[in-house]
Amino acid sequence: MTESEPVERIAMDFTDAGDGRERAIALLLLSMADDEFVIGFSDSEWTGIGPILEEDVAISSLAQDELGHAQALYRLFAEVVADGRDADAVAYDRPAEGYLHARLLDHGRGDWAATIARRYLYETADAARLAALAETSFEPLRDLVAKIRREERYHLMHVEAWLDRLAEAGGEPRRRLMVALEAMGPDAGTVLALLPGEPALLRHGILAEPFAAVESTWRARVDGTFGRLGLAPLPATRDPGTARTRHSHAFRALHHEFTMVRGSEAAATW
Amino acid sequence: MGEAAGAVEAEPVDEAAGVLEPWEVFRQEKDGDPMRHGGSVMAPDATLAVHYAREMYGRRQESVHLWVVRRADIHDLADPDLLQPPLDRSFKKPGGYVMREKLAAAREASGQQKPRANKGDR
Repeated sequence: MTESEPVERIAMDFTDAGDGRERAIALLLLSMADDEFVIGFSDSEWTGIGPILEEDVAISSLAQDELGHAQALYRLFAEVVADGRDADAVAYDRPAEGYLHARLLDHGRGDWAATIARRYLYETADAARLAALAETSFEPLRDLVAKIRREERYHLMHVEAWLDRLAEAGGEPRRRLMVALEAMGPDAGTVLALLPGEPALLRHGILAEPFAAVESTWRARVDGTFGRLGLAPLPATRDPGTARTRHSHAFRALHHEFTMVRGSEAAATW
Repeated sequence: MGEAAGAVEAEPVDEAAGVLEPWEVFRQEKDGDPMRHGGSVMAPDATLAVHYAREMYGRRQESVHLWVVRRADIHDLADPDLLQPPLDRSFKKPGGYVMREKLAAAREASGQQKPRANKGDR
């Protein structure tokens, strides 16, 4: 995407997406889809350079799962917004500042400890968010969340196994993990930061409880794990008001990477 | 990190942790099938071995059940004296001795006919 792109493609405009309920659903779907897309794409950078062959396959497979979740969420978003864009157009045809992923995912892939720290913080927060959507009144999302949660079970097992091993190994592995957690900790809560449409989501039974309550549940879980591993508790969320905007240079580089092919020939078919 | 990093750096690394070893993976393709050897994975412990087995032999939904066994826990036998002894062992096969020629020779010596099939006239 170049500087000369038309202005109308820049803004994610929900103003014509129906009533407050639909706008709120669209915003929720897009934030979740962008989260899954960004962590999936970013983790896929390990393909070919994973710590060992088996882990290379595992992280690549996990990254594919996340991209699959993103695709399903983008499709649902495209159906709700119904502005003529398909899932690919939503995923690829926005400038970097148009993405709504949480600031936690603006931290780049980093080293293996940073990837595990980011995955642990994101996956546990995502699990709490999915739990709050398990009984959502929006039926297509309820079906999708049920499927996604079955895959995320394994994702959690995988990342918790790695968190334990890095934390309990002592020495350099533990030190690298602590460095990563210290850098990401203040941004971890951005995954569950208040969305503008929350009152509508609650009023229409889309979301079971406020994000603040979801965040408390998530923090209790993380505090328990970090306590057991002797890791410092997570700090409060930094700048929650810009949790999903003002993205980092690391994300801009990633965005340049994942839009490059489509940007070279938007109408190409595969 | 400051002090905290310095403090943990002084801790020794658990050298036993993270050492890779082979694990053998058996997979069942569908319910009712036998478990068949699929291959092996390298992993530092059982938990990650199971995760990696799942990725290597299950991520495309090609298995319904996996067994993951540490190769070191498998009792190995490949001794040719025990498994491929040099003398004829055909009598231990389910078919037993090959009797046809011996029977034919015995009948000829005694002048007997080959008994007819039982027609139920006894």
